[in-house]
Amino acid sequence: MSNNILKFSMNRSTSVEKINATCLRSVCRLQDSFTDAEVAIEVKMPDLEIVAISGHLQHVYNDEVKNLDERLQKVIGIRVGSGMLKIIKGLMGEDKNLEQLVYMVEECCHGVILTLTKKVLLKAPDDEAGKFAFYSKMVKKNIRLYDRCAGFAKGTPLVAELEAEEGGEKA
Amino acid sequence: MMLEFMRNKLVDVARLNEDTLSIHGVLDDSIYNLELDFKVNINDLVCSAIEGRWLRWTTPQCPQALTFLKEADGFCLSEGIDNKIHKTVGRRACRHFANLFIECAYAARETVKLLHWQEAVENEPSLSFKDFLEKDSVGGIPAADVMEPVEPVKKPEPITSPVVSEKSSGGVSSVADASFIGNDGKSDSTGFVIDLHLHTSPASPCASSSVDAMIKEAKRIGLDGICLSDHNYVWSPDVVRDLRKKHDFLVLRANEIVTEQGDMLVYGFYEDVQGIIKLAELKKRVAAVGGFVVAAHPFRGFLTFGADDVGLTTEKAMAREMFKWVDGVETLNGKVTATENGLAQNVAKGLALTATGGSDAHDISTVGTYATTFEHEINSEEELLSALKEGKCRPVTFR
Repeated sequence: MSNNILKFSMNRSTSVEKINATCLRSVCRLQDSFTDAEVAIEVKMPDLEIVAISGHLQHVYNDEVKNLDERLQKVIGIRVGSGMLKIIKGLMGEDKNLEQLVYMVEECCHGVILTLTKKVLLKAPDDEAGKFAFYSKMVKKNIRLYDRCAGFAKGTPLVAELEAEEGGEKA
Repeated sequence: MMLEFMRNKLVDVARLNEDTLSIHGVLDDSIYNLELDFKVNINDLVCSAIEGRWLRWTTPQCPQALTFLKEADGFCLSEGIDNKIHKTVGRRACRHFANLFIECAYAARETVKLLHWQEAVENEPSLSFKDFLEKDSVGGIPAADVMEPVEPVKKPEPITSPVVSEKSSGGVSSVADASFIGNDGKSDSTGFVIDLHLHTSPASPCASSSVDAMIKEAKRIGLDGICLSDHNYVWSPDVVRDLRKKHDFLVLRANEIVTEQGDMLVYGFYEDVQGIIKLAELKKRVAAVGGFVVAAHPFRGFLTFGADDVGLTTEKAMAREMFKWVDGVETLNGKVTATENGLAQNVAKGLALTATGGSDAHDISTVGTYATTFEHEINSEEELLSALKEGKCRPVTFR
């Protein structure tokens, strides 16, 4: 069996660039054994609202998405942030042949969030003690991070200060 | 134009032997670099031998995530597995590993379809891939119900069934229905405190405590009442009246409805709305029956992860389309940051909108963190509506 010859390959790339002082453009491209697709959104600051969207999708076995552009345009005006996925799905629809496009819109939005995250993370000190203090402060400021991953799990070192303060307040 | 961020994901699938696929995934972006390797059984899509590696990460604790990847061993990667991956790999390990795992699961499914088609072609050489899938839409992948079960979507139990029936075609029930539900006359001279925003299981799939448990906890901590605001869910007035009697406690109804502008709490509106509704349309329908719309956590996620560096001022926030259509603003919400609540307070004040508070609790541990205090005792949904409309209330930190 030619087990070193790939049966399936997938490459998904998302890039975010600043197109002017108040607008980011996020593009997600997918090429896999069956699919060639691209979605691009433009997001206006400061409230991270989607102001433009375009895309295409070619697939080997799924039927062509009818009114693809019309479906995409439905997300104009929504805000990149918490709760966006249910809104994107709700507006674009959950047809089987749309799943990939919905996912790519979401990936574009995540790209925008990670762009902003990167700017914050660049402020982290290099030394271990400084990093520890930086991330402890981050979880205190952004309570939604608490217990949402191994790094900020209940009872772990980075949340110890937060838990101590919460315990103190309750006492 | 300058590139600000880039994420590349690569997934390869090879066939190890007759029954097994070998999956290799890489996620490499401006912040993280991680890899996943595991095996998938071709016949049942069950994965095993998951190994992860970090090449770049952020917090000193991120490496701990690798330990929890093992919890996904044995998952069946059929359609619908994504939520389970988010809830286990994403929550216990790392959301970026979960993101890559979901890509790998997709690749595994696509590969199995391809392999099953190639087998079918041996007997029917003219069979195209598309024709094969049209005959067998899942590409030879067993249906989910005969495979290892994916975490079931929680469905509301009969006792909490919504009041839809004949009204589901667009009709609305009268605000007068609200008078069915009342209090037995409990009073509090220091203000009457109600948690106006909380969720219960199973009415809200994301909640984990039952309505009885939430009521008991609310009573234990000294709240005067709660308002059930499950997601896109209308409580039966009879069920809520029974709950009130059973617990001798004020239980009222609201609904948290998803709009294209975000989540809205509606009071005095009992139409069963499913899917996404335009806020303007929701406002029209709520106004038609004399209800009240409150923007729930209007800045949730706005001021985190560096988004506070983008220059969102109170003035710019006040100009958001959303605020043209709401009657009030939730300015104390238990699931957002103090800064985000602060901005909501500024906006409510600037626009002279009624301010409310609610815990947004999804389990008993956070019931009543924030609430709304009313000048006068509230005995029914009608009285709640009147107080909200007259602005005779204010948000409070309670717990």
